[in-house]
Amino acid sequence: MALVVEFLTNIRNAVIDLNGVELGNYLLVENDVPEIYFRLAQDLRSSFPHNGSDALKKTVDKCLPIEDAAEGKGSPWPGFQAFMTRYLEYWRDVDFDNLVSLHANLSDLHASCANAFGHPVMGVTLLQTCLSLSESMSRLVIGLTSQPELMAKIRDGSADNDPDKSLVELTAETIQKIFTSCLGDRTSGRFAPPKGKKTHVYIFANLTLRLLFACGKSRFAVQMFTNLSASGPALSLYPASQRVTFLYNLGRFYFDFDHFYRAHMCLEEAYRQCPPAFQKHRRQILTFWIPSNILLGRFPSISLLQRPEAAGFYDIFVPICAAVRAGNFLAFQAAMTHNRDWLWAKGLYVTLFTRLKQLVWRSFTRRIFLLTWQQDQTAGGGEMVNKAAVLSLDHVVTAAQYVQKLLEGYVAQRPPTPRAPPSHVSRIYLRAVSNSAAGGTEPLLLAPPAGGRPRRLMPMEGLVFGNKRPELETVEPIVANLVYAGFLNGFIARQSGRFAVEGAKKAGGNAVRAGWPGAYQSVMERFREDYEVAVQRYNAGEGEPPGEMDDVPGWVRSQGGA
Amino acid sequence: MASATPQQQQKDAKAADQSQQPPAAAAEQQKSAAALEEDDEFEDFPVEDWEAEDTEAANGGDTQHLWEESWDDDDTSDDFSAQLREELKKVEASKKR
Repeated sequence: MALVVEFLTNIRNAVIDLNGVELGNYLLVENDVPEIYFRLAQDLRSSFPHNGSDALKKTVDKCLPIEDAAEGKGSPWPGFQAFMTRYLEYWRDVDFDNLVSLHANLSDLHASCANAFGHPVMGVTLLQTCLSLSESMSRLVIGLTSQPELMAKIRDGSADNDPDKSLVELTAETIQKIFTSCLGDRTSGRFAPPKGKKTHVYIFANLTLRLLFACGKSRFAVQMFTNLSASGPALSLYPASQRVTFLYNLGRFYFDFDHFYRAHMCLEEAYRQCPPAFQKHRRQILTFWIPSNILLGRFPSISLLQRPEAAGFYDIFVPICAAVRAGNFLAFQAAMTHNRDWLWAKGLYVTLFTRLKQLVWRSFTRRIFLLTWQQDQTAGGGEMVNKAAVLSLDHVVTAAQYVQKLLEGYVAQRPPTPRAPPSHVSRIYLRAVSNSAAGGTEPLLLAPPAGGRPRRLMPMEGLVFGNKRPELETVEPIVANLVYAGFLNGFIARQSGRFAVEGAKKAGGNAVRAGWPGAYQSVMERFREDYEVAVQRYNAGEGEPPGEMDDVPGWVRSQGGA
Repeated sequence: MASATPQQQQKDAKAADQSQQPPAAAAEQQKSAAALEEDDEFEDFPVEDWEAEDTEAANGGDTQHLWEESWDDDDTSDDFSAQLREELKKVEASKKR
């Protein structure tokens, strides 16, 4: 009992002195604490056994009385008394070897701390305690997510938990409650140097995001970014480490939500503001910045890949880019498969595979156009023929069916060359025969895969969907989508089954450049068009104000836009 | 008997592939894999703040040259193009017959 009273007396003094740092130093929860905390636990178990009595609460209320605080001093408050009671119960009941009970115990304490932190005047003294408790809770939950049997036990054993919410979500909610309290602090304006709880807005945002990313639940961050956009302080007012970490997190969030332009903007700024000395951090940024740009139609340059923080990235990303450039689905699949484990671990594999397929299709159709139209153009002994710039969809289907077979394991090979003809066959006859065959060699044939059965393709591995054979009715919509996305410039003439290039004259007669504008240029053009439509809709009285084209919800820039 | 998962099959395929590599190539691959071994977490920075001058943003670092926007390839002399050309010719010819 004496130790409990002594501990509470020290806590009271820290509160009266408004000494949040000292309070945080006292209110420890992990097992690497000085021995006195275990003696405190022993004292609690003997003086206040777990028997339903409110003796502990009464002791706390008595040792931490609510008083009128003198000027420049503080006083305990009801939420703090409740939190301190919970804190002592935590030490009385804690069992660090039982993660299920530890989670329940710490989770209650964390929630109680978030409640006490909500006090508009005194709450700020719990800032450090809230942070260390949130960090401990995050570590525990991240550790638990790798142990599904324990997760199940915790969910089954808790009557309070909403069954529709995961443990990660519940913990993130508590941290977000603390974050919201920081956001609502009115001691400083949005664009003035932060004071009070507001100094920790981005620290708690980053903590929440780290937890959500570690558990693959980034979608729960949407509300937090909405709140930041509505009333968050300018990011530029915060220390560089918080800015870079936040922009990295925001970039990853947009990457997860397939908004690669916003992801690029955040990650670019994070990279620019991160000194070269922090190679590990810059590498983490590049891990998502490079794929964001590839998905926007821009490839990393050699000078970027030669930077020390990009070590090893050449081998991963260059083969992928080369396959996209060539429109070669086989090379694309090989490049993805070769680094599948790494791409998968980073959460990039599925996004790159599914999203980049459209760019491979773009280059594939371009290649077929180069092979067919240019050939027609120079037909007749190299004489230029002024033919309409069109791509036959039948040609695309033929080429797609061929590639699909190769993906299924068929092997392109030539039949063995016929044996030398008998000596009596004339040389003139032989020359005539060989000239009639394409290229003077045997035709290329597709031999069935080993074992005779086509390889079973995953849905995203096939050109259309798994082993589905590409036909006109499936290829035409793919080409139409390319036109819609702006990757192909022209229109589909359905009756003649062709894609007709527009604007060749404008492009100096270069039908390839006119029909297949640069991929990045197409993506940005499409983005600009969407933005202009949003502006027009808003001007017509519909929809939300679109802001600036480069606005990134969640990223609060200074009033000047920096 | 359950068959191997695609991931397992991929690992097996990769292992088989590696076993056929010359030692130098295998060593090179190991080196590359080692370079990629890393933590998934974006760690806390060892310092809270730093001067803008320490960053690329302040040193006139232009991030434009880091990306290649014009990468289309008009060369059709590669093997893949040759195969497609031949297949297209073959199918066209069979349609005309």
